[in-house]
Amino acid sequence: MRRQLVTSIVMLLGLTVVLGFGYPLVVAGLAAVGFDHQANGSLVYRGGKLVGSSLLGQSFTDSSGNPLPRYFQPRPSAAGAGYDASASGASNLGPSNPLLIGFVPGVNTVGLNGRPSATNPFATKADPACVPTNPKGSPVTSPAPGQRYERGPNGSYVCDPDTVPERAIDYRQFNGLGAGAPVPIDAVTASGSGLDPGISIDNALDQATRVARVRHLSGGQVVDLVNRYTQGRQLGFLGEPTVNVLELNLALDRLR
Amino acid sequence: MTGLDWGQFLAIGVVTVVVAPLLGRYLAATFRGGPAPGDRVFLPVERLAYRFTGIDPDSSQTWKGYAIAVVAFGAVSTLFLYAVLLLQGVLPFNPTHAPGMSPALSFNTAVSFVTGTDWQAYSGETQASYLAQMAGLVVAQFTAAAVGISVALAVIRGISGRARTIGNFWADLTRSLVRVFVPLSVIAALVLVSQGAVQNFSGFRTATTVAGGTQHIPGGPVASMEVIKLLGTNGGSFYGAGGAHPFENPTGFTNMFDLLLVIVLPFAIALMFGRLIGNRRQGRAIAAVMAILFVGLTLISMQAEAHGNQLLPTRVSQLASSHNIGGSMEGKESRFGPGGSALMTVGTMGTTAGATDSSLDSYTPIGGAGAFVAILLGEVSPGGDGGGLYSILVLALLAVFLAGLMVGRTPEFLGKKIRASQMKLIIAYVLALPITILVLGSLSLVMAVGTRSILNPGMHGLTEVTYAFASSAQNNGSAFAGLSANTPWYNTMLGLTMLIGRFVPIVLALAIAGSLAGARVHARTRATLDTTGPTFVAFLLGVILIMGGLIYLPMLILGPIGERIVG
Repeated sequence: MRRQLVTSIVMLLGLTVVLGFGYPLVVAGLAAVGFDHQANGSLVYRGGKLVGSSLLGQSFTDSSGNPLPRYFQPRPSAAGAGYDASASGASNLGPSNPLLIGFVPGVNTVGLNGRPSATNPFATKADPACVPTNPKGSPVTSPAPGQRYERGPNGSYVCDPDTVPERAIDYRQFNGLGAGAPVPIDAVTASGSGLDPGISIDNALDQATRVARVRHLSGGQVVDLVNRYTQGRQLGFLGEPTVNVLELNLALDRLR
Repeated sequence: MTGLDWGQFLAIGVVTVVVAPLLGRYLAATFRGGPAPGDRVFLPVERLAYRFTGIDPDSSQTWKGYAIAVVAFGAVSTLFLYAVLLLQGVLPFNPTHAPGMSPALSFNTAVSFVTGTDWQAYSGETQASYLAQMAGLVVAQFTAAAVGISVALAVIRGISGRARTIGNFWADLTRSLVRVFVPLSVIAALVLVSQGAVQNFSGFRTATTVAGGTQHIPGGPVASMEVIKLLGTNGGSFYGAGGAHPFENPTGFTNMFDLLLVIVLPFAIALMFGRLIGNRRQGRAIAAVMAILFVGLTLISMQAEAHGNQLLPTRVSQLASSHNIGGSMEGKESRFGPGGSALMTVGTMGTTAGATDSSLDSYTPIGGAGAFVAILLGEVSPGGDGGGLYSILVLALLAVFLAGLMVGRTPEFLGKKIRASQMKLIIAYVLALPITILVLGSLSLVMAVGTRSILNPGMHGLTEVTYAFASSAQNNGSAFAGLSANTPWYNTMLGLTMLIGRFVPIVLALAIAGSLAGARVHARTRATLDTTGPTFVAFLLGVILIMGGLIYLPMLILGPIGERIVG
């Protein structure tokens, strides 16, 4: 036993030097020779200043967090306050969690008395799956007697804005789509990393009209740019085609 | 599933079918003893390592000696890693200023990486220093994989060989690192970097975003860790988001390349087994069982995820088209889509890597169940590096025994009779992990310290807890990550579960091998049960599914199956 412990210690020390330091340094050295740009994070500069990485999504919002209509908007993000690259991660909300899908009657809906309910008592005209918020603005997923709720000007409940049905409503409104227009699923769901650099082509085309209007460009001009920054499937079948939001927005800014 | 999802699935299948036999041949030549490919380069390196450590590679150990060496090395590695994590705040190479981990988290993380589980109760960007990741976690990932292969080699020698000793652990460890893991890792790391995986030492870079905000762009020696995370069926990532992070898994190509890195070695090891025992059909039969389970579970999950979340309103378009990704996209990256995500994530679940590229917690009930079942069946589809082989060999011994009972003959495997002494060890092997999972999982569900950590309500929350224990016990390390696992209770209990899940099966497998080592090899007769044909493949599959079903069905009904029916 004692001899095995001594061998273990010597072996571990040797391996720590070789694998712990030698190996990553060798990889870094070879990478710097062949793929320096990638190894450093595919950084993107504008006017000599670092603006981000073409592999990482970023927020296009004003200082109070509202999306800027002149930019294409990325997917919702669960990384920190949104696209926080020091806190990558997903929402981890389960497929039946009311915080994700809203209150769906018969599945996860709870009535005012705190019991399972066959109808959603918090339904609003716009959002039948509405999850109410309390006066502090936090969603209430386990209603109980005595709970206080936030009310809008017309007396209806104020819904948690981060459920998929609410995000769909916002997406249609922001992009001037009709009430029944289909919304691409990627536009209303958060990604696994919270740093997804891409959106689907449908999502980009839905937004193109709005961006063109705000920027006084022709629709065709913007759609052309969308096409140029669409990354197709590698070898024709690997992965999904996506539009790189950062590169597209930088190209838009370069137009003027 | 779209046609392109099928395309990715078939491509992975074809590439594996081509590469795994080649790699299996290389492994067999490497570990058979005697001259091996690449001796001119590798032999001097090995001799240097033996001289440095004072190892005599030709002294063969008994099963007890082998097991003691494995356990001693595990203990030393765990203590060393524990110290590094605890002290990382004051140690050098820490450009991100990660503070030292708490004692409970250090214990959990040290055990997690040494056992090859790579359960991560911390988030890499801010909670692990570059030193800890490089010199601590990566070294543990290399050795965990090499220990797995070494034990598998010892088990093969025991159950098939004529000698009473089963090889030298230190020589096996050195050889698998020098000749398999290190060269493959360097090459694969460069492939990943060429696609956009990062490899630098620069800490966070501060960018002023287009809209005027700030973003802290992380760096780090990521590609070098990513590769051994996959190739070593470990699963521990540099960043919190793991394989979903664009700096680890940048493109649709790397997504499939990553999956290949995970599954190709376990399949190759099964084929190596056939060559080493001089019966290639036996290796193919074992690989076939692994492959059938892999295909079945992966397709079920891909189908479920591509179909989407049925509880979402219909005007949210989950229908895939040339312009729309579609499917269940919460927690998934747009560049992988639902099919590619499920293929990669659930594909790696059948190994002990559990290297997710998407959030399992947000999978549809059946999509998530595919991952869960792959773990519960004992990690044999195709299992971890080495671990998959010795696990399935124990199950094969059990299958031979059951078949023997049915026809009334003394069970035999590879010409050696399976007797009561082996059967006791086999039953202990089969029951050790389920008992750990069910007892500790149940405790966590009735105690406030356990239930407080649950994120999602109802049946899904139950799955978060039971999955954590199954994942730890089987050294998988993936998570229904809504569970807040960085608490003293979970850090300690899951740490213990990982230790049991690693070392109890290893010691029992070595004991079984030791008890068969040197046993008489009987000549084949007409009455000998054939263990290489389709009948045995089907029978072994049945044993695996029935065992898993009998033990875990109630838990699955309370979890994902119930969630699917109610939803």
